[in-house]
Amino acid sequence: MQKEFLPKETKENIWKVVFEYKAKREKTLAGLGLDPEKFRDEFRKMKEDAFRDMENLRRRAIANLEKNVIKVFEARDVAEAQKILRDLTSADKLVVKAKTSAADEIGVDDVLKEKLVSTDLGDFIMSLAGARDMHPVFPSYHLTPKQISEIIKNKFGSEVAPDAKSIAAFARKYLREKFFEASTGISGANVITADGRIVLLENEGNISLISRVPDKHIIISGWEKIVPTVEDAMKVVRAAAVWGAGQDWPVYVSVISGPSKTADVQNELVIGAQGAKEVYLILLDNGRSKMLKDGPSTTLGTGFEELLYCINCGACLNFCPAYHQLGTKYGDKYLGSKGIILSAFMTEILRAKESGCYSCTLCSACAENCPAKIDLPGMMKKIRTKLNAKNLETDENKKMIGNTREFGNPFGELSEDGTPKELFCC
Amino acid sequence: MKIFKKIFKSNTLYYPGCLSKFVAKDLVENYRRILREAGLDFIELADLEVCCGSPALKAGYADDFKKLAEKNLQVFKEHSVGRIVTHCPACFMIFKKEYPKVFGEKWDIEVTHATEILSKTKIQNSKFKIQNSVVTYHDPCHLGRQMGIYDEPREVLKSLGYEIKEMDLSRKESFCCGGGGGVQSNESELANKIAKDRIAMAKKTGAKVLVTPCPLCYMHLKKNAEGEDIEVKELSHLM
Repeated sequence: MQKEFLPKETKENIWKVVFEYKAKREKTLAGLGLDPEKFRDEFRKMKEDAFRDMENLRRRAIANLEKNVIKVFEARDVAEAQKILRDLTSADKLVVKAKTSAADEIGVDDVLKEKLVSTDLGDFIMSLAGARDMHPVFPSYHLTPKQISEIIKNKFGSEVAPDAKSIAAFARKYLREKFFEASTGISGANVITADGRIVLLENEGNISLISRVPDKHIIISGWEKIVPTVEDAMKVVRAAAVWGAGQDWPVYVSVISGPSKTADVQNELVIGAQGAKEVYLILLDNGRSKMLKDGPSTTLGTGFEELLYCINCGACLNFCPAYHQLGTKYGDKYLGSKGIILSAFMTEILRAKESGCYSCTLCSACAENCPAKIDLPGMMKKIRTKLNAKNLETDENKKMIGNTREFGNPFGELSEDGTPKELFCC
Repeated sequence: MKIFKKIFKSNTLYYPGCLSKFVAKDLVENYRRILREAGLDFIELADLEVCCGSPALKAGYADDFKKLAEKNLQVFKEHSVGRIVTHCPACFMIFKKEYPKVFGEKWDIEVTHATEILSKTKIQNSKFKIQNSVVTYHDPCHLGRQMGIYDEPREVLKSLGYEIKEMDLSRKESFCCGGGGGVQSNESELANKIAKDRIAMAKKTGAKVLVTPCPLCYMHLKKNAEGEDIEVKELSHLM
């Protein structure tokens, strides 16, 4: 049973941002003249088509990335990914990191510990607070400026005025030198294209610096981010901007096709000019292949493939009733219904129960807000089916189904006044 | 004539759903009366029919769900049911959206939600007194997001003479009452917390009455509005 709930003030802080996001998203969609239904259908179709050809796309992506001098490591699980990351960073004294869910998935903090500096403002604030990001796009949106000032003061002893501008100015000053001090930058990938490019989007500019200033750029990403072309990648950028932040386009979109290079001296190619000298990609599986086992997703919603259409925009959380009460307690390595379903594949089925599978009301607010129309409630039911098969369901559900089997209704034997003794709901 | 019609033509079944049949029994009486007043001729199957399977399906018991559906289809066919009318959004969704997935074309029964009939009929106001005649309306997830029925219940309320003050999150963006998906029995504290936040959203509209056409939302919201300056009503209470 869930016992830890977000305090009222925290919930109010979150709702404030969510309602502003909602208004902004509506305005942006109207401004772009974009029919959200049509866009979502087309976007999903692009993902579905990519998955029908994924083996081929993946082979091509790896070959083309290597051709572009991006060294690719395939990691089957967290242990393998951690080992690769440890080997790549063993000589580093300071590593700067973008906000990346894939890096969190493999436990980048455990590998790099105090060598690691988070550079996305919200992510930076949460790292100072020693707490988890509250949201993949809005990591610290549950905190007031005053609370953030206190976190900075506790960590550095610096007095920062409790307003957004002062906090951002402090972070800029503090982080600027870190980018130049660091020998490695770590980021995720918003998209990987089959012709060998990594697409990254951001507003803050920290990813641009991470991917260009230190000598090494390490990208950590699940293989599901692969799409055929750069044109497809731009659809992901659009979806992530609109559904993630309510904006029409991010400030920066980087398309990285290898380490920096020059041939200005007598046409002799030198790898490593002003940007990164080495670029690596750790391509993660970590349970993802297992999700394809039940067959492809169809309109009837069989299988778990469609969860991998996710672009991590966090829109599924924004109107989720369970998330608004439980925050980071609802989910596992990824938050919300997505995280619960993923946990069954990344760890084991029991993890899905522990991370909130029975806290989901199946209200479909997540699916309604998903740019890829991912049927999260449908998959949540299938996770429950998997739990039932192992006798791991809740006692309440055992009683409910026992009653249904015996009496044809969920309540079972009625008390003398003709009402149920115990109530089980739909 | 009635018997003649029943022999040679299919029947309309009023299916109240387990929650109303066994718990919120007043709703069944209300809807029987209102649907008759609306001119609907229907039969009832009482304990011949079984649960639609919504709780089983949502708890992941796919095989049990299928068995319930098969049992119901058999009973419906035995009684020449050609149309089902229900006021329960969960049953409505299950019959209309999930049974066709089980049976394919074998499922040829028309499924109607009570508000689809009532929005086309002139109904009497129950003379239930509401200050300024202002109400707020909660879209049940099963009826709205799942089935796209947003306007019919609102039309019923308007034809009864009420003015609807919408909440910040309504229609497609309606915020769940917290009672569905088995959460009420599996995570009751969480379910109550969600309902209390939904009640707060309803109160923010200034309305003193929150109306919803769902027995589950109704019971769950009502329980969590105790002591609050807002009254929770199921739609039929106003008719």
